[in-house]
Amino acid sequence: MMRSRKMRMGLSDRIFYICPTAAAVAALIMVLYPMYFIVIASFSNSTMVNQGMVTLIPRGINFYGYRKILERSDLWLGYRNTLFYTVVGTMLNLAVTLPAAYVLAQKKFKARRVVMTIFVITMYFGGGMVPTYMLVKSLHLTNSILTMIIMGAVSVYNVIIARTFFESSIPTELQEAAELDGCSHFRYFTSIVLPLSKAVISVITLYYAVGHWNDFFTALLYLNKDEYQPLQTILRNILISNQAMAGTTGAGEGSCAQQFADQIKFAVIIVSTVPVLCIYPFIQKYFEKGVMIGAVKG
Amino acid sequence: MARKMISAFRKDWQLWVMIAPALIYIIIFCYGPMYGIQLAFRKYDFSKGLTGGDWVGFKYFIQYFTSPMFWPTLRNTFVISFFSLICGFPAPILLALIVNALKQKKLKRVVQTAVYMPYFISTVVMVAILQILLSPSKGVLSGLLKNMHLVSQSTNLLGTPGAFVPVYVLSGIWQSAGWNSIIFIAALSSVDGQLYDAAKIDGADRWHQVMHVEIPALLPTIVILLIMNMGRILSVGFEKVFLMQNNLNLSVSEVISTYVFNVGVTSGQFSFGSAVGLFNTVVNFVFLLIVNKISKKAADISLM
Amino acid sequence: MKMKKWLAFVLAGCMAAGCMTGCGNTPQEGTAEEGSSAQNNTESSVESSTGETADGADAEKVKLTALISKHSLTKDVNEMEWLNILEEENGVDIEWQQISADWGQKKSVMFAGGDIPDILVKATNSTDFVTYNGLFEDLAPYIDAGDMPNVSRMFADHPELRALSTDENGAIYGIPNYRSLWPKTNRVLYINQTWLDALNLTMPTTMDELEEVMLAFKEGDPNGNGDTTDEIPLDFSGFPTFVLGCFGVPLMNESDGYFVEDGTVKNFRVDERYKEFMKWLQKLYSEGLINEEVITQDYSKFQSLARGEGKTAKVGVTLGWERGDRFGTEVADQYVSLPALKPHADSDESKVYWGYYYDNNSVNPATVVLSAKCQNKEEAVRFIDSFYDEKVSIQVLFGGMNETDNCIKDNGDGTYEVLPPADPGIDPGTWKWTNSFADYSPYYIADDMKDRLKMGTDMQGVLEEREPLEPTLSMMEETCESYPAKFITYTSDDNSTLAMNQANINNVVDQTYAAWLTDASRDIDGEWESYVKSVYDIGLTQNLEIRQAAYEKYMQSAE
Repeated sequence: MMRSRKMRMGLSDRIFYICPTAAAVAALIMVLYPMYFIVIASFSNSTMVNQGMVTLIPRGINFYGYRKILERSDLWLGYRNTLFYTVVGTMLNLAVTLPAAYVLAQKKFKARRVVMTIFVITMYFGGGMVPTYMLVKSLHLTNSILTMIIMGAVSVYNVIIARTFFESSIPTELQEAAELDGCSHFRYFTSIVLPLSKAVISVITLYYAVGHWNDFFTALLYLNKDEYQPLQTILRNILISNQAMAGTTGAGEGSCAQQFADQIKFAVIIVSTVPVLCIYPFIQKYFEKGVMIGAVKG
Repeated sequence: MARKMISAFRKDWQLWVMIAPALIYIIIFCYGPMYGIQLAFRKYDFSKGLTGGDWVGFKYFIQYFTSPMFWPTLRNTFVISFFSLICGFPAPILLALIVNALKQKKLKRVVQTAVYMPYFISTVVMVAILQILLSPSKGVLSGLLKNMHLVSQSTNLLGTPGAFVPVYVLSGIWQSAGWNSIIFIAALSSVDGQLYDAAKIDGADRWHQVMHVEIPALLPTIVILLIMNMGRILSVGFEKVFLMQNNLNLSVSEVISTYVFNVGVTSGQFSFGSAVGLFNTVVNFVFLLIVNKISKKAADISLM
Repeated sequence: MKMKKWLAFVLAGCMAAGCMTGCGNTPQEGTAEEGSSAQNNTESSVESSTGETADGADAEKVKLTALISKHSLTKDVNEMEWLNILEEENGVDIEWQQISADWGQKKSVMFAGGDIPDILVKATNSTDFVTYNGLFEDLAPYIDAGDMPNVSRMFADHPELRALSTDENGAIYGIPNYRSLWPKTNRVLYINQTWLDALNLTMPTTMDELEEVMLAFKEGDPNGNGDTTDEIPLDFSGFPTFVLGCFGVPLMNESDGYFVEDGTVKNFRVDERYKEFMKWLQKLYSEGLINEEVITQDYSKFQSLARGEGKTAKVGVTLGWERGDRFGTEVADQYVSLPALKPHADSDESKVYWGYYYDNNSVNPATVVLSAKCQNKEEAVRFIDSFYDEKVSIQVLFGGMNETDNCIKDNGDGTYEVLPPADPGIDPGTWKWTNSFADYSPYYIADDMKDRLKMGTDMQGVLEEREPLEPTLSMMEETCESYPAKFITYTSDDNSTLAMNQANINNVVDQTYAAWLTDASRDIDGEWESYVKSVYDIGLTQNLEIRQAAYEKYMQSAE
């Protein structure tokens, strides 16, 4: 009897391991093909791409799209600015978000509900673009790199995610024990909570960093100086809007422009995304199991 | 009363210090500009200042409610976001569980990295890819679907009204499931190893471990994200719908945001846009409150 | 341990950021003050100098700020030598802010926020002047005082341009542009001559014959690649408005479907002639003559398809702006342009029209404006006016006339020549958009420039290809009433009503059009009445009333 039970478990476990592997491989193909397509489309003849003639191998290879992007003298400046905004901005985000999330996770914190409500309302109600602009202007933050770092310093969404994690993944016994030891909130937060929360910190870091990386809107609204512009603004300026100009106004852009517009569209993705893809493996390692609570508790 | 508050503050002063930066930021940058909401009730007049225009009450709301496009846009918006939620919400959870169950480390890493890449594709290119893959004559994907007899030979997936929502939702899942699964993968990684061990000792196989260890570990995150997503029930991203829109699918693809754009594009309709936006927000917020309440009663998990 | 270090780093970063907030403001205010004092200095220096800055010493130049919303192809305007020369000549030094993406969004905050640069080029439209009343300087007094001689000359030549730019109170906030060089229509119907020859067909002279030809294109293998299914007889993008003219609608400067006939503003979407046209299109589609993706394809695909595969053309008949633009380099020479065809052999030829859009092609309102807050209005006005100088205007549109830019040649006898692109790999259209402010910019290219400027090969082609249409277009000038939509302005209330109604109308009209076209089972005759009623009810009645009243008012004032 024992034996048969063991056999059954083995079988079901084996199925369990096969199914996800199959699903993962399927997902991989589904994701990778379009990504591969973007890569080959970025240096194939765009006319052929649009006609559906480029499916597996690149055709009519030329690198006009990349040349057009890379010949921009401000591209590297854009990379540098974006890197700066991303690194400093994300540090500020974390420094503001994590303590706030910790506080809101404290069941004993009396104002918890009120503060939480104040936060959540802002996820829905806002004054709109223009009043916000007026505010930023009155604070003398327009045309300043500080705007790029300060705007969006707190994302309530991320606060809530971090709070949920603190609430659900950090055992309450830990805090009770710490309190008995007379440990202050500051100390408990820095020496117990943060080390236990690497996974969620990684997620939030990623969320914020990618947010900064992709942000063109803040720069669009608040920055007028060319030397402060982030990468995304520069890339958007290269993208040729694909409109039928000739049809509506008799202003033909010329055939070169239209063809290259399609290529640039794809090349821009590569130029702007590759750096982000590079940081993922570093963050990923904090998702590995085994470094977590068990270790600390033991 | 006052003394009670002071003593509460004294007790919690460290907590107040920790939350102060976030709170101050929110108050200044989110509540500071909120006076702008009154724009929805005023006729915008630049020369009198941003909110100095004449008070018109609910004029712009009524203008929208009585517009023949009110119901169609409301319905389309709701349908698109309802299906996005129903189909799009479980996808990243499933993906996270799959990734978590993978044994080979290498495959796991590759999958994890690959599935989140589509998130970085801009909407413009996303729609361009759909155009190319779903083209009725040459599209790779539409050809595949036709060969598998999932769609009829004459179907134009880009123009059939019935295909709009599925294409929108599925491409949305394709693009964001990987990215959205990150939070769940992270949550799974912090599951206490002892829980697995305990389950094993109890004789639970891997399926049971998923049901009794992993899902419960994800539950708080799932519920919170669900609540927040419900609060977006009337927010359908403008750009993708706009780019996917054509005259053949207009009956299902005209949503609130594209309609406001069409009305406002030729004239600076600040107030009308604000009014429709506010209506949108209020509906969203009501949804959020309802779901929050339900979840609090049912699972004791809530946003506020 | 490691974590702690990391945290310390974060906190340090935060502190640094906090410190930056603290100290950040002071130097910034400092620079703002410096800026204004610098401005005072330049003002006084201008007063002391006599305005003559021939030597171009930087200190004597008036500093101005300007914004241009330019095309993404357009290079950094500071690298345009003609512009540098123009600034030099006017004794101004301009700090350009250049925007080529998302201007609409930036505009709404910038304008509502009230701080705009001194001069805005290609960045405004007429409704901005209503919405942001007070933000811009009224230029009418300057024009009347003779401070803008070039603009005055333009208005004297074309009084309707002044009417276009003047609001109810007589103010002129934006200066329009005008160019004589552009054709009267933006679209030509092309047919593949090589295909006709391959199948031994004659050039069609009526729409019925065209249909026969297209059927032959579909059945046969005119491109000779052995595949009889890859030929697309007819392709267009959206709705083929221009061809509707052939069915008797006098599309003279039509706008959103509105046109004028017998003194009445009408909309062709509810016109019997549109119904006939739709029945014809539906028939063509059901016969498989129209590209099945005509409604769903995006512009990139639409353009790519006609460019063929190598030397093998794919499209038989299509609408386009210019052959090189429409068909690329490989197959363009296979196509010739068609005249306006009458529907049937017995149709009344005097009622066969084509889309006539001279107003759209030659005039843009509000191409340049001046900020009401500008500190050096005199210089700014002079600089703006200089764009409308004859020689400058052609450079604004086609690129510089100097050794560096090398876009235009001055023949020295009042005639000019647009040079071919210095980079042989680029077509003239792209070259123009790269090196100049291009279309929608402030310029005045007078009617007589037509004979004095030799344009590039692309524009020559544009004009040549329109020759078959010329009799029809000239006939329209004689017999049809133009709808001066571009010159009519509305109050802000009317504007919002029109916009709101139009959004609703378009929704019905566009959907019905696509459904009728692609679904042969839809009975256009049977549905017509209820369709027309629904379009009227959803807002067309009101829009026609508003437009009719405005049209009549305009016609009265024009007299």
